[in-house]
Amino acid sequence: MLEREIVVVGAGPAGLSAAIEAAGAGARVLCIDLNMRPGGQLFKQIHKFFGSSAHRSGTRGIDIGRMMLDEAEDKGVELWLGSTVIGLFPGNKVGVRHGQDGTAGAFVTVHAQKIIVAAGASENVVRFDGWTTPGVMGAGAAQTMVNVNHVKPGRRVVMLGSGNVGLIVSYQLMQAGCEVAALVEAAPKIGGYAVHAAKIARAGVPIYTSHTIKRVVPDESGRVCRVVIVGLDDAFQEIPGTEREIEADTVAIGAGLKPTTELLALLKCDFTFHPVWGRVPLHNRDMETSQEGVYIAGDTTGVEEANTALEEGRIAGISAAAALGYLSEDEAKARKDEIWARLAALRMGPFGEKREQAKQDILSAFDESRGGLAAV
Amino acid sequence: MPLLKCGYLTYEELRALRAVPSDARYAKGPVAVIECVQEIPCNPCETSCPSRAICVGDPIVNLPCLAEEQCTGCGMCVAKCPGMAIFVVDKAYSDTTATVGFPYEYFPLPEEGAAVTAVDRAGQPVCGGTVVRVMNPKAFDHTPVVTVEIPKAFADEVRGIERGTC
Amino acid sequence: MERYDDEIIVCRCEEITAGEIRQAIREGARDVTGVKRRVRAGMGLCQGRTCEKLVQQILCSELGLRPNQVGASSPRPPVRPIAFGELADGEVV
Repeated sequence: MLEREIVVVGAGPAGLSAAIEAAGAGARVLCIDLNMRPGGQLFKQIHKFFGSSAHRSGTRGIDIGRMMLDEAEDKGVELWLGSTVIGLFPGNKVGVRHGQDGTAGAFVTVHAQKIIVAAGASENVVRFDGWTTPGVMGAGAAQTMVNVNHVKPGRRVVMLGSGNVGLIVSYQLMQAGCEVAALVEAAPKIGGYAVHAAKIARAGVPIYTSHTIKRVVPDESGRVCRVVIVGLDDAFQEIPGTEREIEADTVAIGAGLKPTTELLALLKCDFTFHPVWGRVPLHNRDMETSQEGVYIAGDTTGVEEANTALEEGRIAGISAAAALGYLSEDEAKARKDEIWARLAALRMGPFGEKREQAKQDILSAFDESRGGLAAV
Repeated sequence: MPLLKCGYLTYEELRALRAVPSDARYAKGPVAVIECVQEIPCNPCETSCPSRAICVGDPIVNLPCLAEEQCTGCGMCVAKCPGMAIFVVDKAYSDTTATVGFPYEYFPLPEEGAAVTAVDRAGQPVCGGTVVRVMNPKAFDHTPVVTVEIPKAFADEVRGIERGTC
Repeated sequence: MERYDDEIIVCRCEEITAGEIRQAIREGARDVTGVKRRVRAGMGLCQGRTCEKLVQQILCSELGLRPNQVGASSPRPPVRPIAFGELADGEVV
């Protein structure tokens, strides 16, 4: 069995920043990702990031990804790509399908003193008549096609969902040369940042709030050729007679993301159900779960965005390295406090408040479950 | 709020939500018009301004405010704003025309001198215009800033051009 | 509305329709696991990564429950596909 001090599952923004922090402190870190290229969502994010200069704001995600890969290499992080963690087992054993060239793999077990799970999230789907028709895909999948594989998913796209993912991907599809026929949102108002919505409105994309997709009509070849949308009332019920047909060959669904938590469930980590994030693992201010030595960061803890993922990754990396004795408790605490302050700033404003409250709820639920600082 | 319904604001709605340059400042030449109306954690406009004319401060969810007398209308913030929510408007360009500078990240890039159709915040055609400047230096990091000359009456409406018309 | 919705596939790996899931609920399924045991929704290649939320939505609307009352799938290893050959050649501890 291979031995590593720290195994990080996932080489996205959270996993890479955790690996960089821990390796920078002196720990021997192995970072595993199922893709052939590290960086997670960063290499799909060709837009400039929000945030402060501490978060390299104004820099494109793709460039932040490149800087992080260089940094990980400098710090001596070992990277296994095309490799899948198929299970975590008692005694801190990590079962890995170690990819060789993307096709063949070998199963190996790695014993890790500390484990950091930064497995990200997966896309939600929406059920409508024809949602399994070829040409219907997740907004994230469409984004991977244009920004990573440089392939247009189609000619004319209907986007379902006006969160930041739906808005940003609509814009990037147009940059790639696709037409966006409509943006459809079930809620009565746009979910994402107004500036992202303004960008696609300015490009002439009609935005239908209080609407959803009722049906997708395929052509003879079976591919999407028409999309029927319908108006919704305040109770999200279809309003008869408000159907409208849109010609399109692609539907992209940006209906939110679900944290990827299977590995933590295998380890029997304590979970909670939070209305903002759904079912998520509990963790403390070290990003450590109810299982000692198992840490989490990024979307796995509840879906947010890249900057918060980067910061949480740093905390997890520092905590794991400190637990191994690479950092003094005082030094680790000082650095973590600084990061928590930056996280609090990122979770301010109308979009952040809910997430800040959710994070606090999860931290208190952890304390309560430990029987420690129960709510007073 | 129409912004959250259809994705854009009219200039009047914008003015009700946040400060825009004064008429006196507009009369002096190019100035940044910041159309950022939500408190999101972001401050590259502040850190990129060479004249220190934009202030976000602490906390970084504050809306940016512009010291209009310090602003030179250079366009750095237009390229840097991740939300593409800043424009440079010059209402003193000529007796009858104004210019509007906006970020433009599409292909093909229009060429200087090209005749274009200028559009408003909803992407609807407003008037004809001429491209007078395309700035795309390395510092703008692949966000070219295109400036179009349009009839003065539309300076507060025009915020882009039709794509593929050049 | 319901009848036409009954034909729509929910679990695409196992090709289980909304109608079959409603039938499983009528037969007594009260959570994601109950539906899975009766009609295999969520037992395919993706292990419910795609359809779990859709199954939860149907359970909520049929039974008038909240999302936290209808359970979640219980992941088991391997959480991602691996070939038997790779497992057999590997070093299993």
